[in-house]
Amino acid sequence: MRRHKRWPLRPLASALARSRFCSSAAAAGAFPLKHVTRSNFEMTLNDLRSHVKAADFVAIDLEMTGVTSAPWRDSLEFDRYDVRYLKVKDSAEKFAVVQFGVCPFRWDSRTQSFVSHPHNFFVFPRQELTFDPPAHEFLCQTTSMDFLAKYQFDFNACIHEGISYLSRRQEEEASKRYDEESVDSVVETEDLKLVRLADLLFSERMKKRFNEWRSALLHGSSESPGISSGSTESAETVFYHMRPALSLQGFTSHQLRVIKLVLRKHFGDLVYIHTNDKSSCSKDFVVYTDSESDKENLMKEAKDERKRVAERKIQSAIGFRQVIDLLSSEKKLIVGHNCFLDIAHVYSKFVGPLPSTAEKFVASIHDHFPYIVDTKILLNVNPMLHQRMKKSSTSLSSAFSLLCPQIELSSRSSDSILQQRVKIDVEVDNVRCSNWNAGGKHEAGYDAFMTGCIFAQACSHLGFDFKHHSESENLAQNEKLDKYINRLYLSWTRGDIIDLRTSNSNAENWRVSNSKYENIVLIWNFPQKLKAREIKECICKALGSTSVTSVYHLDNTAVFVLFKNSELVSNFLKLKQQLESDDGPVRILHPLSKILKGGNTGAADYDAYKEICSSHISKILFADQAETVGVKSRTRPNPKGETSLETERRENMVAVTDKASDLIDAFLANRVDVKVARTN
Amino acid sequence: MLPKMQRRFLSSVSVSAGGSKTLNNGRWSVKQVKKSNFKSTLDEIRTSIDSSDFVALSLQNTGSYAAAWHRISAIDTPQMSYLKAKYAAERYQILQFALCPFSLRGSKLTVHPYNFHLFPRDELKLGMPSYSFSCQASRLTAMAREGFDFNACIYEGISYLSREQESASKFLSGNPILAEPVAAPSSPSTVADTVFVGRIRSRVKNWRQSCLDSSSKTGDDDLVSSLRKLVLGSEQYGSRLCLTIDVCSERQVQLILEMLTEFADDVVPLLIASKSGGTQAVRAVFMSSKEDMDRFKRELQDLENEENRRLRGFREVVDLISSSQKPVVSQNYLSDFTSIHAKFLGPLPSNVDDFSSSLSSAFPNVVDLSQFMKEISPLSNISNLPAAMSSLNRFFAPVDVEVANQGCPIKLDESHQMHGQNAVMISQLFAKLSTIQKSDYQSSVQPSEDSYALASDQHASDENVQVWSKNSRRVSSENLVFIWGLAKKMTASTLKNVLQKSHNVFAQEFDVKLLDRSCAVVVFWQPSSSETFLSAVNNEDQLLGGSLRVMVAEGLRAAGYETYKRACRLGFWEADLADSLDKTLESSDTDLDSDTKPSEISWTSELAINFDEL
Repeated sequence: MRRHKRWPLRPLASALARSRFCSSAAAAGAFPLKHVTRSNFEMTLNDLRSHVKAADFVAIDLEMTGVTSAPWRDSLEFDRYDVRYLKVKDSAEKFAVVQFGVCPFRWDSRTQSFVSHPHNFFVFPRQELTFDPPAHEFLCQTTSMDFLAKYQFDFNACIHEGISYLSRRQEEEASKRYDEESVDSVVETEDLKLVRLADLLFSERMKKRFNEWRSALLHGSSESPGISSGSTESAETVFYHMRPALSLQGFTSHQLRVIKLVLRKHFGDLVYIHTNDKSSCSKDFVVYTDSESDKENLMKEAKDERKRVAERKIQSAIGFRQVIDLLSSEKKLIVGHNCFLDIAHVYSKFVGPLPSTAEKFVASIHDHFPYIVDTKILLNVNPMLHQRMKKSSTSLSSAFSLLCPQIELSSRSSDSILQQRVKIDVEVDNVRCSNWNAGGKHEAGYDAFMTGCIFAQACSHLGFDFKHHSESENLAQNEKLDKYINRLYLSWTRGDIIDLRTSNSNAENWRVSNSKYENIVLIWNFPQKLKAREIKECICKALGSTSVTSVYHLDNTAVFVLFKNSELVSNFLKLKQQLESDDGPVRILHPLSKILKGGNTGAADYDAYKEICSSHISKILFADQAETVGVKSRTRPNPKGETSLETERRENMVAVTDKASDLIDAFLANRVDVKVARTN
Repeated sequence: MLPKMQRRFLSSVSVSAGGSKTLNNGRWSVKQVKKSNFKSTLDEIRTSIDSSDFVALSLQNTGSYAAAWHRISAIDTPQMSYLKAKYAAERYQILQFALCPFSLRGSKLTVHPYNFHLFPRDELKLGMPSYSFSCQASRLTAMAREGFDFNACIYEGISYLSREQESASKFLSGNPILAEPVAAPSSPSTVADTVFVGRIRSRVKNWRQSCLDSSSKTGDDDLVSSLRKLVLGSEQYGSRLCLTIDVCSERQVQLILEMLTEFADDVVPLLIASKSGGTQAVRAVFMSSKEDMDRFKRELQDLENEENRRLRGFREVVDLISSSQKPVVSQNYLSDFTSIHAKFLGPLPSNVDDFSSSLSSAFPNVVDLSQFMKEISPLSNISNLPAAMSSLNRFFAPVDVEVANQGCPIKLDESHQMHGQNAVMISQLFAKLSTIQKSDYQSSVQPSEDSYALASDQHASDENVQVWSKNSRRVSSENLVFIWGLAKKMTASTLKNVLQKSHNVFAQEFDVKLLDRSCAVVVFWQPSSSETFLSAVNNEDQLLGGSLRVMVAEGLRAAGYETYKRACRLGFWEADLADSLDKTLESSDTDLDSDTKPSEISWTSELAINFDEL
């Protein structure tokens, strides 16, 4: 029984990871959790395979290095579902997964309880392949790192010992590259010409050596068949794929190329073979073949071997993705808690780049994970469960303590109410236990365990009778779950639910009134300190007192303005443009001048917001982002804003108040005249 | 006077330093500074810096460049090198700051090595010092291999705020701050303003009267006084009475402050900031006497200083170095000081001249060791310090190192003791180099001019770039052409062969170098060849045939140096240079009003014409 990877408590922060791996003493009562790093990964994977195969469902949870790459990338009130998807996509692309909790649950009819196997994988995107891969970078959000530190996350275990991975797409690219490389090595020798004297001498010498060796082979001469030339280079006779061969050592790569040339020119039956073994140390052979067909065979064998080695290398670089492949190929029911971001991470890390739209994502995710259930949906959408939550928060930990108090406290009291609850045991390294102290919150393995417990308990409340549950029955196809399966919160705060069932029309399920977004204008880079209320006042003065429904801050540098109708949107944008192209006094007197002051104010419709969100750039302030993405060209005025002149004029005309609106209209009417006057 | 003091200090230190001089295997004991011992070490650092002639520093960052072409290369002008360094400095985080104040007396090098563990902690939840940072996975893996302790760094790292962030946070930390004295009334008031002021004035008057009353007669029982408080909205600020007036615009703040000057004798206004950055309320605090007012202002000032100090964190050390005006020696001037500027001074300016002047106001004397090294030993590579050191062995320049500050209380054999060795090596290398150069820094108190010349040397020429680092040959940037979109992967030599056959412009001498896997640069040694080639590639009709036409049909693209420059300036830092150049060419017609200085705007307009012709 192997149990040396059971860590006692959350390790002490100051100690180094390495020293911790040796500690084996398990503190009594600590939550049993299988910690997996690259040293025990292969072994654990074998066990996990059988656990997942036997499981009724598998709960997962992820810990990431961050959530939002800029404050405005957070879920906001005016985010349409497609914008929300773009924000999730941005998050999944930029941040790294550092911990992955996988917890298979199996109903054990003998003990009338669930058996769970919580695994806590440390994951780190280490580059395992030697060739030049795209430089891998990830973002860390400082608050998230602080958050992880608060829950004693072990960064050393993650970075020193974390399991690496390749996504499917990366694997394809890697094998393509290996293919290219093997082609290259064949082509390369053709344009080598012997010009230098040293090369000529060397080639003659080698020609002689090979001739001697070959004739010794053929005529069974008793001479020593090896070649040793006194210097560091040596060649000894070995067997390569059942054929006599010379193993070349100590030659420079240039010399090897010359040897290749010599062989091709002068020896039809000697073949040059280059191999790479697992430890990536290369070996070179000159092999004797007794016929043309034998030669072809040999070439093919050598090529196959190279391919095998490359495949093995790639296979080992796949690392943690084997777990994902396992979950995917077993088509088990995946359980997560508010898990859309988690699923997006899984897709971008282990499948390939996230699709550009939510629709494409939905179409694609089904092939990999046909059954996903979100416990947060379950608790909020099902009226009975919702009531049972007694209006308390549906966060993971509070749902756990409310639904599964017996597990949290690990009490096996005779209390009749607790007796009705689903019994759950934990099994780690073949040791089954049903008593423990609460585990560390926000540790992926324990969070996955909690999620699974909530799901089991929720199912029991929904009327599942596990006691009469047959092995063959698939939980995922149970009609009681039908309403909840494959529905995830796209945005929990807004209550947007994304439906992953491809058969359904998605558009129906988006809780969206599209017209609303047509009435939105985005304004950024207005004078600082201008508050939402003041902006509303300004616009109301210009476009009518009821024109603006509400104004909502994105951050300090930008606002959404919700107009009453879409006509007002284009009116506003037109008016803004008009005022900006105007240098006359209208520009200063107009009520909008307060917003446009400074000459940098940008404004655009909702589509521009989507465009800005889809950019892979993330500036901290929204105004900077908008400028960088380049939406400014749509509305930005000429850079020649005469600000100093403007303020001067403004000081002369401060007395103008609301009553001047008539005057402004007059100005607007005479705009052309004013312009002419000015140019004259 | 100064040398005398130093000597005294040194003698006292060498007694206390005792056995911690050097570790076996040539490692020095470096004092490791973390959150827990930062405050207590600060004074020691101050003395170390004051007693030394130079300060060596070395940084450990979470990354250096994201893609091959982001590396500063020989084809970059100072401005482009700066833009590349700026891009890296803004993205990556400094995790360790090794600092080594040192002095050189003859062959004796006295060092005071420290190693600071840093981590940006967003304590105010305002995205300061940084909202997020990038990590290069390969860099972290390499650090892990060297035994870097990430837990120590993240749990115990010292946080900081840059100078600009500190002044910005003043308002945001939530502490009430003293309102600036109001100058002349800002602008004529409207009717609404007058009404507002009148209302507030009477409220303040009543409240003040009650304060005066309560301070004169103390006979009131508790009930009455608390009732009065309720009615008047009076509160307590510490032991003093105060009145909080909510405001809804900065204009109102202004008006209230103006009005309160009437009561300046015994009422002090404080500004209460709201979370979003504006002023939420004005708090008027009642002073019982003139002395009380002075005491109050002092208390407030102390509170603010203490708070600022806490927030400033590690920047205190940077300020110490800066205010000491000692020459700073670093291994890589550009990357180190862009990082330092971005993290501890303020946002990096958009061009290299502004950067230099901004930097020199904080660090007037900077020695670029790699530049110094090049003068002595032009072929050495500075990026590997031990190798650079051994390359100088052919010179006789003995340097004895003495570690003057006490090692850390942690046991000497602990592995993280080794962090921060680089700064010591830099000081050692510097000592060697200056001994070789026989420049007697010892006698001059201010060795500034020499060292500044070293740093500014690389800004010498703008338009010419060095092409290959070894065997260098200067070439005007006009003669460089970038080509990408090749049908298949090629080495530089095969590409050169292919090009030679493709067009007669290649009959003359030219060179090819791959910049990354997607893009190569062609150097023409004949002045007008580059134009000929560019127009040939970009006007497909004029191509009479031959393999160049096939290559263009297969997707070959070419652009001049200006495009490369613009790609950097516009911030198109794609992973492949080819993508960046494509993007730059696409954007050329829409984005001409970028934030550059006038001289460059004329360039862009030239470019626009250029690209219209293409």
